Amino acid sequence: MKFQKATALTLAAAMSATLAACGSSTAPQSQTNSSAAVSETSAAADSTEPSADAEASAASEEAPGEVDGATVTYDQIELGTTGTDLNTEIKLLTHRTDMMADDYNGTNWNAYLEEFGKVYPGIKVNIEAITDYASESLLRLQAGGWGDIMMIPAVDKADLSTYFTSFGDVENVESQVNYTKNFEYDGQVYGIPSTANAQGIVYNKKVFADAGITELPKTPDEFIGDLQKIRDNTDAIPLYTNYAAGWTMGAWDAYISGTATGDPDYMNNKLIHTKDPFAKNADDPGTYPYAVYKVLYDAVSKQLIEDDYTTTDWEGCKGMINNGQIACMVLGSWAVTQMQAAGPNAEDIGYMPFPITVDGKQYASAGPDYNFGISAECDATNREAAMIFIKWFTEKSGFSYNEGGLPIAADDSRVPDLYKPFTDNDVAFVADNPAPAEEADLPNEMNSESELAINAGGNEKVQSIVEHAFNGDEDFDSIMDEWNQKWSDAQDSLGVEILN
Amino acid sequence: MASTTAASGRRSFREFTRTRKFQRTMIIIAFSIIPLFLLFLFTYLPFGEMVGFSFYKMKYVGRRTYVGLKNYQSIFSRKDIFGALVLSLYYMVGALFQIVLALYLATILSMKVRLGKLFKAVIFFPFLVNGIAMGFIFKFFYTHGFVLDTILSWVGFHIDSLPYWLRDQRINNWALVGTSVWRYVGQNMILFIGAIMSVDPSLYEAAEIDGANGFQQFKYIILPGIQTIVTLNIILSITGSLSAFEPSYVITSGANGTGTYFVIMDRIAHTDQKVGLASAMAVFLLCLIFLATVIQKLIFRFAFRNAQAEDESFQAKKARKRAIRAARAEIKAGKEAQKRMLADGRKEDA
Repeated sequence: MKFQKATALTLAAAMSATLAACGSSTAPQSQTNSSAAVSETSAAADSTEPSADAEASAASEEAPGEVDGATVTYDQIELGTTGTDLNTEIKLLTHRTDMMADDYNGTNWNAYLEEFGKVYPGIKVNIEAITDYASESLLRLQAGGWGDIMMIPAVDKADLSTYFTSFGDVENVESQVNYTKNFEYDGQVYGIPSTANAQGIVYNKKVFADAGITELPKTPDEFIGDLQKIRDNTDAIPLYTNYAAGWTMGAWDAYISGTATGDPDYMNNKLIHTKDPFAKNADDPGTYPYAVYKVLYDAVSKQLIEDDYTTTDWEGCKGMINNGQIACMVLGSWAVTQMQAAGPNAEDIGYMPFPITVDGKQYASAGPDYNFGISAECDATNREAAMIFIKWFTEKSGFSYNEGGLPIAADDSRVPDLYKPFTDNDVAFVADNPAPAEEADLPNEMNSESELAINAGGNEKVQSIVEHAFNGDEDFDSIMDEWNQKWSDAQDSLGVEILN
Repeated sequence: MASTTAASGRRSFREFTRTRKFQRTMIIIAFSIIPLFLLFLFTYLPFGEMVGFSFYKMKYVGRRTYVGLKNYQSIFSRKDIFGALVLSLYYMVGALFQIVLALYLATILSMKVRLGKLFKAVIFFPFLVNGIAMGFIFKFFYTHGFVLDTILSWVGFHIDSLPYWLRDQRINNWALVGTSVWRYVGQNMILFIGAIMSVDPSLYEAAEIDGANGFQQFKYIILPGIQTIVTLNIILSITGSLSAFEPSYVITSGANGTGTYFVIMDRIAHTDQKVGLASAMAVFLLCLIFLATVIQKLIFRFAFRNAQAEDESFQAKKARKRAIRAARAEIKAGKEAQKRMLADGRKEDA
């Protein structure tokens, strides 16, 4: 026992040395060697090279008594049997502030926790919802001591193991959970999706019918034509940009990968190595990122959007599409429930695939929403409790289905009715593959270096499309040229190889 | 005398701690160490860190590489960053307008005005409105066909002839500056009123007896009397307009050509995660504000050189200096003459 205590202390010391040096590549090698008696230390101390052992030592860091307790992985948990004797409190940080309210339209946090309490009365879950989650959570993460479960914010993959615990091997977890690719690193899974969304367009079925549109558009040209019909035949705003909210414009980035190319490797593997990715595709100008942003440019320049885009109102638009003042908006499927709840005409709100057809087939990017991650600072008990909660939330709570999302648990096949236009038209859901391990950080690096921030809050670049289209001071191709230039400069400065 | 100093030299440390001088020093140190420590911890240390960051290419998490002055070069070479500083000019014009307006209102309201207190409260009220709420208020205020347009249509403007206040890039910055003036004019006014109240009222009476009208009273009594606070307000407003942030951030989120330097900095730091560049921008802005303050100080020193109320006038000072110099020269000349005379006397003696 004494030896164990000493071991644990050495481990703790090595870990704190690691934390102190976290982020810098010059980990104090001498310190590591002095405590190298324990096999885990060297792996734990080298933060730039996380391995399976890192999480084992992380779990033991603050729980000296449980060093030799086997660490449970996600796939080993049998809900209802594993850990029923656990008695602990865990804290969860979430972005879903709306679900804290008692009058939330749908199942709120309290209702879920009540259900969970029936199965695991010993595990108490405290929930803290944070407005402005994306930036606040990063600060909390840096400060440490934030709790046990967090919706993983934008962290470099290489840093995942510094902050979060592994759920288990990729192989084992993937057999039970969909869409885990975003937070896989070095053979380990660090995040379990809360729900998954597909990318399409929210539209008002009634307005489309009133305008005389009988078949959903499949190409950008058909779509613009349909918007024109709506402008001519109805009083509704054909396409509401939600320009002023900002992030709603950044949402357009989500369509440039799977949706526009049908290629699961495009986003994280090819885009980075592509020369001029925003250029017009020679084979079919109606595909690839160029086509996605062109839809926006054309809609604005043909005045098929709202009159005063600078004063759009995000909360207001929900009611407007519900009662037929707006025909469609380009948003992820998560938005649909909110639009349905905003007025009396829930049945009018539908979801359709983005109008791009690649070689005769339509695709829709599908991907996880925020992922749950478990703090690397958790002791073994809380870690197990947290993992049990997440597994329960994924498999038993019905959260994803309730929120209109695609199934997360691998054996779950319930797809919400919402996706009927997708399944009817045989639209294939494409989940992006992650970048290879040695390039795991490259997408983030490219986003930062080029300042295009694709799928990472690059709202301004999409807003600028609207501005230029409206003011007519720059044509679409030259905007794309500018972006290509920024992308090329970033590729140069990061030394990225151009492959195609 | 000599014996006491010798004794104090050999005094034990214990005795030394009982001296008044020592205890006074200790109390000063004990009282000031806490605020100084807090100041250091929360202001100078983070600032020092930030200056350090500005020489690196780094994100919030992950590796950092030393790049020297490259970040500072980017500030000047990038159109979006340096161009954003031009927007400060809009806010500076707004700030000057705001000061003049505040001074005007303060002068009127510090005289006997019916419902004066009510007006003061009404004009000051916007300052109490939360900055985020302001964003919502003005988005609706400027929405086409909403509040502002409705009011303008009452006075005869036709809705079709009115511009889109936030969409039109020629006027949207003025619209934002307007919100800033609306918010801060009350605060400036209250400061001015406070200063005006401190002017001796007997001066007004005397002026009235002498037949001075309102404007003359303002020019010769109020303005010189509140000169310090005017200077302060101008300096605060100008430096404030260099770091204008709120209107642009909450109303338009910096889009459509309204992104001020601060908003761009926020974007670079948080969206693009270029912490090094953003730190360099912050340091550069600090230098700029510092420079602006110094220049203004110099200008005011020059502009008010005749009006330093307590000091003697500039001319008087000059005259006095000249007189002293002349006197010294005379004394010197006199002494030399004396020496010469003495020397001559000795020679004669010899």
